[in-house]
Amino acid sequence: MSLLEDELQSEAEEAKGAAALSPASLTAFRRGISGITVPILTTVIAFIAGGLIVLATGHNPLSTYSSIFNGTGLNWLFPWVSGAERATAAGNLQQTLLNATPLILVGLAVAFAFRAGMFNIGGQGQYTVGWIVAVWVGSSFHGMPSLLHIAFAIVAAAAAGGAWAGIAGVLKATTGANEVISTIMLNWIAIWVGVYCFQLGGPLHNPHMPSTPVSSNVVSGAKLPVIWGSLQGLDVGIFISLALAVVFGLVINRTRLGYEARTVGFNPEAADYAGMNVGRTWIRVMVICGAFAGVAASLDMLGWKFNLFTNDILVSQIGFYGIAVALLGRNTAGGTVAAALLWGALLTGTSSRNFNLSIDPTLVQYLTFMIEGIIVLLVSTDVITLRLLKGGRRIGLTFRRRRPDDATATEAGAK
Amino acid sequence: MTGRIRPVGLLALAAALVLGIAACGSSSSTTTSTTTGSGGAAASSSTTSASSTTGSSSGGGFKVGLVTDIGGLNDHGFNHLSYQGLLQAESQLGVKGTVLQSQSGADYVPNLTRLAQAGNKLVIAVGFLMAAPLEQVATKYPNVHFAIIDSPGGAAPDTAKNIEGIDFAEQEAGYPAGYLTGLYLKAHNYTTASTVGGQSIPPVDLYIAGFQAGVKASDPSAKLLNAYSQDFVAQDKCKELALNQIQAGAKVVFQVAGACGLGAISAAVQNKDQAIGVDADQSYLSPTYVLTSAEKKVDTGVFTAIKNLQAGQFSSNLQEDITNGGVGIGKIGPAGTQWVSQINGIIAKMKSGQIKPPTTLLVK
Repeated sequence: MSLLEDELQSEAEEAKGAAALSPASLTAFRRGISGITVPILTTVIAFIAGGLIVLATGHNPLSTYSSIFNGTGLNWLFPWVSGAERATAAGNLQQTLLNATPLILVGLAVAFAFRAGMFNIGGQGQYTVGWIVAVWVGSSFHGMPSLLHIAFAIVAAAAAGGAWAGIAGVLKATTGANEVISTIMLNWIAIWVGVYCFQLGGPLHNPHMPSTPVSSNVVSGAKLPVIWGSLQGLDVGIFISLALAVVFGLVINRTRLGYEARTVGFNPEAADYAGMNVGRTWIRVMVICGAFAGVAASLDMLGWKFNLFTNDILVSQIGFYGIAVALLGRNTAGGTVAAALLWGALLTGTSSRNFNLSIDPTLVQYLTFMIEGIIVLLVSTDVITLRLLKGGRRIGLTFRRRRPDDATATEAGAK
Repeated sequence: MTGRIRPVGLLALAAALVLGIAACGSSSSTTTSTTTGSGGAAASSSTTSASSTTGSSSGGGFKVGLVTDIGGLNDHGFNHLSYQGLLQAESQLGVKGTVLQSQSGADYVPNLTRLAQAGNKLVIAVGFLMAAPLEQVATKYPNVHFAIIDSPGGAAPDTAKNIEGIDFAEQEAGYPAGYLTGLYLKAHNYTTASTVGGQSIPPVDLYIAGFQAGVKASDPSAKLLNAYSQDFVAQDKCKELALNQIQAGAKVVFQVAGACGLGAISAAVQNKDQAIGVDADQSYLSPTYVLTSAEKKVDTGVFTAIKNLQAGQFSSNLQEDITNGGVGIGKIGPAGTQWVSQINGIIAKMKSGQIKPPTTLLVK
C-alpha cells in the first residue's frame, strides 16, 4: 500500500471516526493486517465445523471429507490414481474448473466495487443480462467465422453487463442513489426482462419449441472450444477468466483508474479534494464490474449451457456467490481466484454423484450450504476480530462506556 | 506479541460459537437421519434417504438411475413423486435404484453421464429442463435407455431414439376436478371458480384447460378467472393472486403452481373457501377446505417405465392418462362427498372415450 493511501485512510478515520469507515478502507485494513492468514483460518474453521455436524449425524467426517476431496477431482493430480478412477477424477476436475470459471469473474465484479468503496449486489442482474445477450448473439448470426462470433458474443455480453451496472453507477454519481439499493432493484428488472424475452411468444423465444419457454440454441460455431474431456468437458473459458483476473490486478494496482478507484474507496471527499472526479470514477468502476459479470455469463453460455430457460434465470444464484467469493478472496485478484476455485471445488465435491451412497445425499447437499454459510459468517465478522486486534481504538467507542480500562488495554496490546 | 495471539483466541471463540450453533442444528439433522434409517429404505415414504437399496436384492442386476431437478427430493411434488416411483420399483420389481440430485443446471450432464457409465439399464431425467443435456448424453451412450418426464422424448423430431418421453395428459386430471367444482358452485349458488398457474407452459395450461372445460360442463353459467404467478416457489405470490380472485368472487381456487401454489390453498382456507390441489394428493393440507386434487402420478409414470423396460418394452413415448391411471383426482373433501358417484361416472366416460377434455384454455 502506498504512503498516500495510508495517509488518506488515517485521515479519513481521524476525521470521521469509527462510524464513517468506508468498505474500502476496511478492506485495506483487513488486507494490511491479516494477509492470507484469516481467510485460510476461516476456511479451516468452517470445514471443522462442517465435520462436527457430519459427526453429529453419525457419519465419519474424515471419510466424508475424503469423498468430497475425491469428488472435486483433485485426486487427478496424484500420479497413483489410475484406470477408471482416473477417468472419473478427470471428469470431476473438469467440472470444478467449469464451476470456478464464472465464479472468478462474478467475484471480481464484486471485488472491484468493494475496492472503490461500493457494494455491488447486482452481480446477479449483470450476469443475467450477459446471459440474455450472449445467448442471443450466440444463437443468431449463423455462418459468422467462429472466432469472430465467439469474440462478438463475449464482448456484447460484457457491454450489456457493463451498461446494466453503469446505470447504478450513474445514479450514484448524479443523484447519490445508494448502489446497494439500485443494484438490487436492477437485479429484479434483469430477471423479469429475461423471463419476458424467453417466455412463450417472447421476442427471443425459440420458435421451434412452441411449448417450452426457452431460447434458441447457441450455434456450433459460437461454442467455446473444449480442451479437456467430452460431454461438458473443460473449455477455454477458464483461461479467459484467469486472464481477466490478471487484468483486474494490473488495473487496480498499476493504472490511474485503479489508483483513483482505491482513493475514492478510502475517502470520496479526500479524493475530490485531491482533484479526482469521484462521480466519474464510480461510474467507470461499476461499468467494469458489470463487464466482468457479463463475461462470466457469456463463458457459461458459450462453454456448456447453450440455451436459456426462463427457469434458469429465476433460479440462478451465481451472482450472489460472487459476493462470498470476493469477501473470502479479500477483494484481490489472487484471492478471488483462489476463493472461486475453492467454491467451485466445493460445489463439485459435494454433488451427490460424487458420494458413495452410505452418506445421505441430502445431508451432503446441506453440508455444502453449511460450509459456505460458516465461511461467509466468519469472513464477514472477522472485521470485528481484526479491529479488536489492531484497531481496538476504533471500536473502543462501544467498549469505552462500559469498560474503559479494557479498551485502553486492547489498544496497548495492539501496539 | 500479545496482539498476535488475540485474533487466534477470538477466532477460537467464534469457532466455539459456530460449533455451538452447529451442535444445536445437528440434533434435528440426527433425528431426520435416524427416521429415514429406521423407516427402511424400500417402500417407506421417506423423503430424505436416497441410499441405493441393495438390501435383500432379488434380481438386483437391473439397475435404474434417477436424476432430479434442482428442487431436490424434498419438494413435495415432482422430484419427490419420481423418487416414490423408484422406491416402489425397488420393492416390487427388485430393481436397484440410484438417485442423483442436481444442484444447478451445470449438474445435469455430469449426473446423467455418471449414471449412464455406472451400468444402469435405465436412466430417468426428471423434468423437461434436462431435455437438451439428456440428448447429448443419450447420443453418446446409445446402448443405455433413457427416460424423461414431461417431455416428448424420442417422439420429437431429431431426437435420440433411446430416449423415452413420459408425458402426462394433465387435462384429464383437471377435467373431473373442474366438473366437481361446477357441481359445488351450482349447489351453493356461487358464480366463480379460479385458477392460479405458475407459468403459462404446457404442463400448467393443460391442467387449467381441462379444469375450465370441466367447470363449464357441469355449470355452464360459471365465471372463470385465471392468473399466473411466474413462480413455482414463493408462496406469497400465489397467495396474493388467490386473494385477489377470492375478492372478485371466486369460491373455488385451483392451484397449478407447485410449492408457490400452497399459498393459494392457504388463501382459500383462510377465507373458508374451497381449494384444489395439484400433482400430488394435497388433501392433507386441509381436510375440510381441499375439495380434491388434480393428480399427475409421476410415480406411476416412473414405475411403469421401469416395469416396461424390465419386460423388454421401450417406446419413444409413454403416454400417461386417465385410462392407465397416470393422472386422476385425489381424495374428495367433505364439501364434495355427495357427488363422488357422479364424478366416478365422469371418469368412466373419459376412460371409455366419450369425454375428451380440450387442451386449450377457455379463459386465458
